[in-house]
This record gives sequence, structure tokens and C-alpha cells, in this order.
Amino acid sequence: MTDAAIEMVVAYVRPDVLPAVKRAIANAGAPSLTVTKVSGRGSQPVKTEQWRGEEYTVDLHEKAKVECVVADVETETVVDAIADAARTGEKGDGKVFVLPVTTARQIRTGKTGPDAV
Amino acid sequence: MAIPAGIAEGINTVWALVVAFLIFFMQPGFALLESGQVRAKNVGNVLMKNMTDWTVGVLAYFALGYGLSSVVASVTSGAALGTPFAYFGDPSGWVTWLVGAVFAMTAATIVSGAVAERMNFPAYVFVAVVMTAVVYPVTTGMTWGGGLLAVNANGPDGYIARVVGAGYLDFAGATVVHMLGGIAGLVGAWFVGPREGRFDAKGDSHPIPGHSMLLAVLGTLILAFGWYGFNVGTSAIFNGEGVLLSAQLGRVALNTTLGMGAGAVAAMLVSAYRQDKPDPLWTANGLLAGLVAVTGAVPHVTWLGGIVLGALGGALVLPTYRFVVDSLHVDDVCGVFAVHGMAGAVGTVLIPFFATSGFSTTQLVMQVVGVGVVAAWAVVGSGATFWLADLLFGLRVSPEEEEAGLDASEHGVAVYPEFTSGGSPDGQPVSADGGFPGGEGDD
Repeated sequence: MTDAAIEMVVAYVRPDVLPAVKRAIANAGAPSLTVTKVSGRGSQPVKTEQWRGEEYTVDLHEKAKVECVVADVETETVVDAIADAARTGEKGDGKVFVLPVTTARQIRTGKTGPDAV
Repeated sequence: MAIPAGIAEGINTVWALVVAFLIFFMQPGFALLESGQVRAKNVGNVLMKNMTDWTVGVLAYFALGYGLSSVVASVTSGAALGTPFAYFGDPSGWVTWLVGAVFAMTAATIVSGAVAERMNFPAYVFVAVVMTAVVYPVTTGMTWGGGLLAVNANGPDGYIARVVGAGYLDFAGATVVHMLGGIAGLVGAWFVGPREGRFDAKGDSHPIPGHSMLLAVLGTLILAFGWYGFNVGTSAIFNGEGVLLSAQLGRVALNTTLGMGAGAVAAMLVSAYRQDKPDPLWTANGLLAGLVAVTGAVPHVTWLGGIVLGALGGALVLPTYRFVVDSLHVDDVCGVFAVHGMAGAVGTVLIPFFATSGFSTTQLVMQVVGVGVVAAWAVVGSGATFWLADLLFGLRVSPEEEEAGLDASEHGVAVYPEFTSGGSPDGQPVSADGGFPGGEGDD
């Protein structure tokens, strides 16, 4: 174990910018990531859909949740990379959060701490 | 150029069998079409209903329906009764029985789409039995069987056909099968009542989107494939003299195809006009409505007639569905009245205007009377059936069961299981309060 900080960058982005976000994170030096399909609500206005011409509203929008644990790369670099790649300027571009990670272990090797990341 | 009678009979029999198998294949079509239009929590129930229509239905149609049709035919025409149940011991009649059975089960299975997502399963099984044992056979007895509406070469005409002076034209069952099923569905949906949330306190409708348009459209196209058996297969290959019926086969095949195309295009245009964008579900419904509309007419009308009837059937789907929802306040989930009922009636009434033999007022009168008789019987027969089902079993599941979904409450299954814990049921599942589901701590 070392004292080097491990942090998790969690980003909620539009599903269609995901390829660009993946590329940007890799270029920033943090290729490992986890992606989940999620639905969420923020500033994006509700969407109207129809079934047999009868309309209904959807206020939870489909987003991609990207989790990227960072140890030896500057966290700010990764956050910037995601934000730049995901930005369209329209409401609904998403948000990026940074969380502290208390410990890490790579299952295959048993390495712990920043080495595991 | 005639061929020997034995060969002609052999080819006709093989054709009849192939056709029966094709029409049987409409069953998976209906299963997919209806599954796609309901929520994921009710898919297993829809599938059970479709399987029940077929499996319980063939038994009921064998035990009673097929013979009852002959009884009704003789009673409504004054013909000698003969031995209507002789088919039990006559293997040479069993291919014909099978062809009758696949038509009967098509009529029965239409109903399930209208009453989906809230009907009590035992009550539905009862309805399926009565539909195939009584309601449908009475209809065929009055029509194809030689009864009330039919003109007969051997034996007396049906009582109404005698009065009007013409036989009722419905070649492959636009009304005998489809309108019957469509009206029975509408009547059933009225008896069962709308799904929770379909209408608010003011009576305004709110959409309950189905879970997969993919399944609905795939089911539609499978149905259309089976429909070639339904329509083209109703024509034999050779006539009694061993002469190839090439003109009739060609006309039936062409009109079936054109009606399908025109129905889909018309529904697509109407949906684009009403909703700004062409809608896949309406287009699929219109494709089927086009097929329904020409089903009674295919050998009788010109190809222009095939196109016009199909287009009318397709164009009427959306307005008819709106009428059922907004004016009747009936929750016909899959729109079976719009697709099967209205299209069947319109396509069959209008046959004389496009008849290859020329327009005949007498025939038009007969078509109107015939559609009226079949529709009236459909309302009375299915109404009595649903009323009886309510009395015996109760038509409606409880609000709690409806909320949970019929898959869980009626059948104890999940069609799309998530997060199964894995392992055998012997392993004790754990819950946070320390108790085990179903165990002592679970209350």
C-alpha cells in the first residue's frame, strides 16, 4: 500500500458520444473503464413519444455511465478529456464526478493500491 | 386439358395439407403480434392464451364443432340432417377436418389480442372452448356449410338465400373467420373492461405502450405468409373434372398480394397524415387489414378491386381504432376490431362493385344481409359466451394481480427473468431481515 491517491471518475454522458469519450480517456493515459447503460434526469427537457398516436412523456433519458479509476494519471486530465469529448453545448450533455477510492486490488495478480489500478 | 381424377384428387389433397400447415403457421404470427403489443409482464399470459386457442380448440372442434356446423347448415336450410358426426369414423374426411380446424383456431385466437393484460385465464380457456365448439361452427354452418345464407347445387338453399335470391360471397372468411373474431374481441374487451390506467376519471385515454414493436411487426409478416394458405389455399388446384384452375389461382394470389400492399400503404399514409410521421405499428395493422378486406373477395373481384378493397381496409384501421377508444371507451389492446372486424365487413359488402361478373344489386343486398347476419351472431354468440364465462369463472383478475402482471399472478413465471440467484432452490435465499422467503421469518 502506498499513500498515492486513488480516485474514481464517474461520468454520465450521451450514449452517442461514448466512442469519443473512450478514445479521449485512452489518450489521457487511463484506458481501463466500465460502462453501464443508465437512465437519468437533469436539465434535459422531457421527451415525448407515442403509441398508436397517443402521446406520453419520458423524463428519464438514456445515458452512458462511465467509471474510470485513476491512480498514476492526473485526475483533472481525465475529467477534462471526458468533458471535452462529451460536450455538444445542448442541455443533457451530462456531468462528471470525482470520488475518493479507499483501496484497490487486482484480482488476478493480487496487487493492491495504485499498482492494482 | 383434364388429368385423371385420381391424380387431380391427389394433388388437391397434398395442396390442402400444405395449406393447413401454412394456416397453422399463423398461430406463431398471432403469438408474436400480440406479445409485442403488451407489456413485458404479460407476455407469458398472451403466449398461454395463444397456445390454448390452438390446443384446447382442436379438441373442442373435433369433439363438437365440426359436426355442429353440419347440424346448423341443415337446420337453417331445411336440408336432411344426415349424419353430421360421421367424421369420427371416416378417415377420408380428416384432411378436410384439419383444414376446417386451422380456420376455426384462427377465428378463436383473434379474441385474445383484444382482452390481453387483464382477463382471468380459466375464463379465457372457457371462451376459447365455446368459440371453437359453438360460435365459429354456427357461423360456418350458416355460410360455407350450406345453411342460412348459402345457395346449394345439391339440396335446398338456405332460408335467407332463398328470399334474397343469391348466395353470400365470402371466399376465405373475411367475415366468417375475421369479422367474427374481431367482433368477439370487441365484445370481450367491453365485458372485461379497460386495463387499469387506460382511461382516466374523465374518460380520456392514456397510452400503455407495448414492449416490443419488433415482435409485433415480425408477427405481422409471419401472419401474412400464412395468409397465402388462408386465401390461395381456399382454392383447389384442379376442379372436379381434373381441369387446372389456373385463372382462379392466379386471381386469388394476385388479389391477396395487392390487397396486402394497398392496405399497408394506405395505413402508412393515414398515420403519417394524423401523426406527422409514418408509424410502423399502424402500417403493420394496415397490412393485415388489407389482407382481411380482400379475404372474402379474392376470386370474385378484379385486381383493381383487390387494390381498392385492401386500401379501404388499411385506411380505416386508425379511424376505427380511435372510434373504439374515444367513442365506445373499449380497451381493444391489439385493435382487433379495427383490423379484423371493420376491414372484413367493408371488404365483403363491397364485393359486387368490383365483381368480375359485373355489378348485381341482388348480390349487394345479399352481401349486406350476410354481413349483418354474421355480425349479429358474432355479437350474440360471443356476448353470451363472455357473460357465461363471467358467471362461471369471473372475467377479471384482481387489481393486485393486474398490477403485478399476469405472468407472475396467473402463471408464476417471468418471461424475461432478471438477476436470478443461480444454484438450486435448495440453497436458502437470504433476505436482510434474517428471514427466508416462505420460511418462518417471512410474514
